[in-house]
Amino acid sequence: MLTRRVIVCLDVKGARVVKGVQFVGLRDVGDPVALATRYEAEGADEITFLDISASAEERATLLDVARRTAEQLFIPLTIGGGVRTAADVARALRAGADKVSLNSAAVSRPEVLTEAADRFGAQCVVASIDAKRGEGGAWKVWVKGGREETPLEAVAWAQECVARGAGEILLTSIDRDGARIGYDIELTRAVADAVQVPVIASGGAGDAQHLVDAVQQAHADAVLVAGILHDGLTTVAALKDVMRSAGLPVRALPEIVV
Amino acid sequence: MSIDRLRISVFDYEAGNLHSLVKSLETEFTTVRVERDPAAAVRNTDALVLPGVGAFTPAADRLASGRDVMRAALLDGLPCLGICLGMQLLFDHSDEGPGEGLSVLTGRVTRLDAQRVPQIGWNTLEPTAPLDALLASSGLDTVYFANSFVCRPTGASAQHVIAYTTHETDRFPAAVRVGNVVGAQFHPEKSSAAGVRFVRAFLREATQRAAQRGTLGSSVTEDVTS
Repeated sequence: MLTRRVIVCLDVKGARVVKGVQFVGLRDVGDPVALATRYEAEGADEITFLDISASAEERATLLDVARRTAEQLFIPLTIGGGVRTAADVARALRAGADKVSLNSAAVSRPEVLTEAADRFGAQCVVASIDAKRGEGGAWKVWVKGGREETPLEAVAWAQECVARGAGEILLTSIDRDGARIGYDIELTRAVADAVQVPVIASGGAGDAQHLVDAVQQAHADAVLVAGILHDGLTTVAALKDVMRSAGLPVRALPEIVV
Repeated sequence: MSIDRLRISVFDYEAGNLHSLVKSLETEFTTVRVERDPAAAVRNTDALVLPGVGAFTPAADRLASGRDVMRAALLDGLPCLGICLGMQLLFDHSDEGPGEGLSVLTGRVTRLDAQRVPQIGWNTLEPTAPLDALLASSGLDTVYFANSFVCRPTGASAQHVIAYTTHETDRFPAAVRVGNVVGAQFHPEKSSAAGVRFVRAFLREATQRAAQRGTLGSSVTEDVTS
């Protein structure tokens, strides 16, 4: 049976992992390679590096970080942030990413999803969608790291991303990001029920029950977790124990190999 | 002083991430080279690896010029590990697109029959009896998949399935083995410690074969000797 994944997200700026609240107020949480391998050992099913660099200089370092990480990491690695073209996707895959997520670039030029999927397969193309509840209750898509609103409605946009070749949706609630009050269940369910590819719930994880709710109530295939792990409030193993007790299939902790 | 190393060639269809695959193959007992030419990939080597990222048609195009040479080498006993798309290339054809596979196994590659496709994530293996040595020694249990297409062996090839897995209601081969040729629909190089052990177990078998044949660490090319 396909297990429910716990994905650990590391926001990378320059060569460091940082964490913000509602996309602002960044603080340093550590070295990306060391953190990624530590989370693998703790039982993480996947690692996502989200490049939140502000400059081209910082951005250039991410591929090097990916390369060094891939040498030591033996679980899937997704890279997102600043990926604009199929050539960028190729470079990220070459550097060691297994999947690449596209966000603002897909909004400005949706064809890039098809170009990447045709060349590398849908399974490595992730459409990353940042959504925020707007006036009247509809979820709107925001871009540029949550700074710029678009006219797109999140559920319809997710469907279009899939139609254009995305093999997975990474769905982040801007309202919940860093708030630790739980994922946006309504948003996640609306998207998960509207598309036939895996949906990763993101933004708002505060405790293990939030992960269970995202899967059971919102039909997410996977959950993305960051801050509560980086702050040492819980561990991947502890989160998975609660998921398992709730009846969800999760991968057991990898055994220690000496 | 030199160590006799296992020579591994990785056939590169220029589709994606070879980095962690190459890293999982590199040990103090191996030398790994990446080959873009399919015929060169089966020359002067002790083991061939067909990596797992890409689409069937571009990969079959890359393979075409050396397809018959590669097929002959595999039928002759060259150890081969095909991962994901690399396993699919061991079969005849794919619904993903036109192109000719290696036909080491008979059957077609078809789309997963499930609601959520691609299948992305960790799924459990259902090994067939008797348990294959590679699965036994690695202790593989839950492995990472990222695929929209799966292999459907026909005729006698169905006997070569060493493990199945099930996504929703579709049960399909997770791994096949015919002689020294091994195919994995999952990504062992992404399946954490047990996955790496599976790759290493395959390499150990290839090393034993190369040692028996006296080719380990050999600098004499097969072209010259034949």
